[in-house]
Amino acid sequence: MMTSVILLLGLGVGVLVGLLGIGGGVVLVPAMVYLLGMDQHLAQGTSLFILLPPVGVGALPEYWKQGQVDLRAGILCAVGILLGALGGSLVALPLPSRHLQGLFGCFLMLSAILLWRKAQPASKTSGDGGRAHG
Amino acid sequence: MADGADGADGADGMGRGVRVFLTACVCGIASGMFGIGGGVLLVPLLGLLFSFSQHRAQGTSLVALIPPTGVLALLAYARQGFVSWKTGLLLIPGVFLGGIVGGRLAEKLQPQRMRQVFAGILFALGTWQAFSAWWR
Repeated sequence: MMTSVILLLGLGVGVLVGLLGIGGGVVLVPAMVYLLGMDQHLAQGTSLFILLPPVGVGALPEYWKQGQVDLRAGILCAVGILLGALGGSLVALPLPSRHLQGLFGCFLMLSAILLWRKAQPASKTSGDGGRAHG
Repeated sequence: MADGADGADGADGMGRGVRVFLTACVCGIASGMFGIGGGVLLVPLLGLLFSFSQHRAQGTSLVALIPPTGVLALLAYARQGFVSWKTGLLLIPGVFLGGIVGGRLAEKLQPQRMRQVFAGILFALGTWQAFSAWWR
C-alpha cells in the first residue's frame, strides 16, 4: 500500500519535472513530510538522493529537439549548484527541524513569486508562448 | 553589463558566464539548504536576469541537473543519517518516467498558464509549511 503511494508520488512529481524543467525536489520534500510523515531533514536528504541520477534526462530530448537548450550556461550552472549545495547543507544540518521546515516554506513562497513574475512580461514581449501551441 | 539583453542567442562573453555561474551558486545554496535540485530557482532567474525564453530556461535547467549536483550535500546529510534510501529508490523510477511524459506535454501546453498554476500551488504549499512549522 505504502509502496504504491510512493511509486505514484514519483510519477506525479516526474510529470512536473518534464513540464517545468525543475528537479522536483521542491515538491518531493513537502510530499514526503506530509504524505509519508518524514522529518524535514530526512525528507531533504532523501530528496537529494533521488536527484542523484539524472531524473530530468528523459525530458531533455524534447527540449533539445526544439533547440531550447543553452549547453554552456547549463554546464556553468551545474558547477555552481554543486559547490553551492555543499555550502547550503552546512547551513541546514545544524538547524532544528522545525525552523528548517519554516524556512523551506518561506523559500517556496519566494520561488512561487519569482515564477509568477516572469510569466507576465513574457506573455507580452516574447513570442515563445505562441510557438508552444504547435 | 555590456551584454545580457539577449542571453538566448549565445552572445555570451566572460562577464555573462561569470554572472550565470554566480547565479547558479545561489541556487546551489538553496539546493543544499532545502534538499532540492535548484531548478525551481534557476528557471525563473535565467528568465529574469538573462532574458531566457521560458522553454530555453527549462531546457537549460534540465542540463544543469544532469550531473549529480547534489552529491556533496547528499554526503553531508547521509553522514548524519538523514537519508531514507528505500523510499528514495522507490521514487526514482516514477520521477524519471513522469519526466518523459511531462517533457512531451510541455511542448503542447501554454507555458505561462502552466507556470502560473504551478506558482499558485507552490505558494499555497509554502504557506502551509511555514504555518505548520511556526504556529503549531
